[in-house]
Amino acid sequence: MRSTLDRLYLWSGYAAGACLVATLALMMFMAVGREFGVNIPDGTDFASWTMAAMTFLGLAHTFKRGEMIRVGLLLEKLSGRPKRVAELFALSITLAFLVYFTFHAFDFVRVSRMTNEMSNGVIAVPIWLPQLSFLAGAVLLTVAVVDELVHVLRGNPLSFEKPPPKTTEELLARVAEGGGV
Amino acid sequence: MELTTLAIVLLLALLGILASGVWIAIGLAIVGLIAMVLTTNIPIGGVLATRVWDSAASWQIAALPLFIWMGEILFRTKMSEEMFRGLAPWLQWLPGRLLHVNVVGCGIFATMSGSSAATCATIGKIALPELKKRGYDEGMALGSLAGSGTLGLLIPPSIPMVVYAVTANVSVLKVFLGGFLPGALVMALYSGYIILWSLLNPSKTPPRDPPMSFLAKIDQSRKLIPALLLIALVFLSLVLGFATATECAAFGVVGALALAWWGGTLTKDGFYESVMSATRLTCMIMLILAGAAFCTAAMAYTGIPKALAEWVDGQNLNRHTLVLALTVMYIVLGCLIDGISMIVLTAVIVLPMVEKAGFDLVWFGVYLIIHVEMAQITPPVGFNLFVLQNMSGKDTFTVAKAAFPFFLLLNVAVVIITFFPEIVLVVPNYVFPETIKIK
Repeated sequence: MRSTLDRLYLWSGYAAGACLVATLALMMFMAVGREFGVNIPDGTDFASWTMAAMTFLGLAHTFKRGEMIRVGLLLEKLSGRPKRVAELFALSITLAFLVYFTFHAFDFVRVSRMTNEMSNGVIAVPIWLPQLSFLAGAVLLTVAVVDELVHVLRGNPLSFEKPPPKTTEELLARVAEGGGV
Repeated sequence: MELTTLAIVLLLALLGILASGVWIAIGLAIVGLIAMVLTTNIPIGGVLATRVWDSAASWQIAALPLFIWMGEILFRTKMSEEMFRGLAPWLQWLPGRLLHVNVVGCGIFATMSGSSAATCATIGKIALPELKKRGYDEGMALGSLAGSGTLGLLIPPSIPMVVYAVTANVSVLKVFLGGFLPGALVMALYSGYIILWSLLNPSKTPPRDPPMSFLAKIDQSRKLIPALLLIALVFLSLVLGFATATECAAFGVVGALALAWWGGTLTKDGFYESVMSATRLTCMIMLILAGAAFCTAAMAYTGIPKALAEWVDGQNLNRHTLVLALTVMYIVLGCLIDGISMIVLTAVIVLPMVEKAGFDLVWFGVYLIIHVEMAQITPPVGFNLFVLQNMSGKDTFTVAKAAFPFFLLLNVAVVIITFFPEIVLVVPNYVFPETIKIK
């Protein structure tokens, strides 16, 4: 169960990374193609969908790596039981919101599917197809938060909590991972 | 509910939720949710889903991950070593000597990276030990590095600028272009301060390195040339209007990959790591943007931003008084939260206000980014301070004290661009002549 979930987050992260590479390829084809009079039909539409897919599919992975930011000013002052209570509170609120959100993401895609809405471009694509990444991402993130909540309820600290880096190498690795814009 | 009461309830809810450690993006969305529950009967879930989807499904926003990725690739090259070696021989003659490497090195790296922490860390990891070895004043070395690192945000590409442009619904390109001259201004202020300081403290500047012939200097800087070409290429395409911001970012990624390959630092692992890091950082920012997009929409239903804007308008405030009030607010906020959150948290309320007061939103973006720069070097939460604390082994207080003059210089920059908004607007107006709107 543990390793299945971790693999799920990781592979959805890979899928998001692949979407980033795809976005780059699309933009390059469009920019270079235009110079030679070659047009990628609906290139901007496809780029916006790879962009969306990247965003949503990568959420769970990002969350589990502890790279979603929050205001740590008060939490850092706490330890022991109060800290646990605070973490559980934050996770529960987040979960409650995500359940609501995922339900509506589902509804959003369902309506697109039902009304058979098409994209406006030359190649008419049923819009619910790219929107599936939205739903998938919402579900994955909700699963990741449930996973984390259970983990903390079992008496563990947050699985992604990292001690502050001690050496310069650790710090550079942390910055390379995008810690602190 | 009366508007004032509603505003107070929402503000308290926001503060409470964020302080309790709920992730910022989620917290913003929840406040939006509360606002809509209290004021409208339209289906909230539909608005939420539409806003979130729309904020991510946009090809303009694709500039964000691409610029982040470009920075991630360059961060993994040997650029930092080359930067010190390449710049040092040229800056020896200035009073303050190699301290200027911090300013110029960060300025150059900033044109390739959108992150202040990465800029500070990249230049710092070589410059700090080298300066220490040569006996430079440690406070000045730390302070100038902390301050110059923040140029990563002001000189495009810049991650917070993309965030701002999307939040404020202005062109990313224009805000980028608006950052050039203020970036140069801040560099001039920093270098000017270093010169002044070293003239006043001649005993604290170590002697210059042995002189080199012109050709030897060129030879030592040789390895910087491809990087400078990349910068020139990316920015000419921006300024000449040859490419959109997103395409420009794509060229930047390809150029950075070519540079890394040419320098022999492009490995399979490095490539994979750069993709995944860029992905995660983008996801983090995108979720915040999505939360903010929904919150903004929800706030519009409450009518608070409009009422507030009209109230400010009715006060007949001097424009400079408004800027002063905002400056104080942003400095305080900047001590407490990170820059990106600062932008999206305040945008809902502040943007309608400044627009009503007649400020150009591109100008305001640059103004706000300078405040985000300050936020990086003000304790207790300033990421550059944290980076330098780690690299130098000094405590927060020492580093913050060293950075303080540079914090003041950023304030000077804010004053200058407030009285001379042309510094920000002249470049974007040159590239987009149809939108001249200097008030």
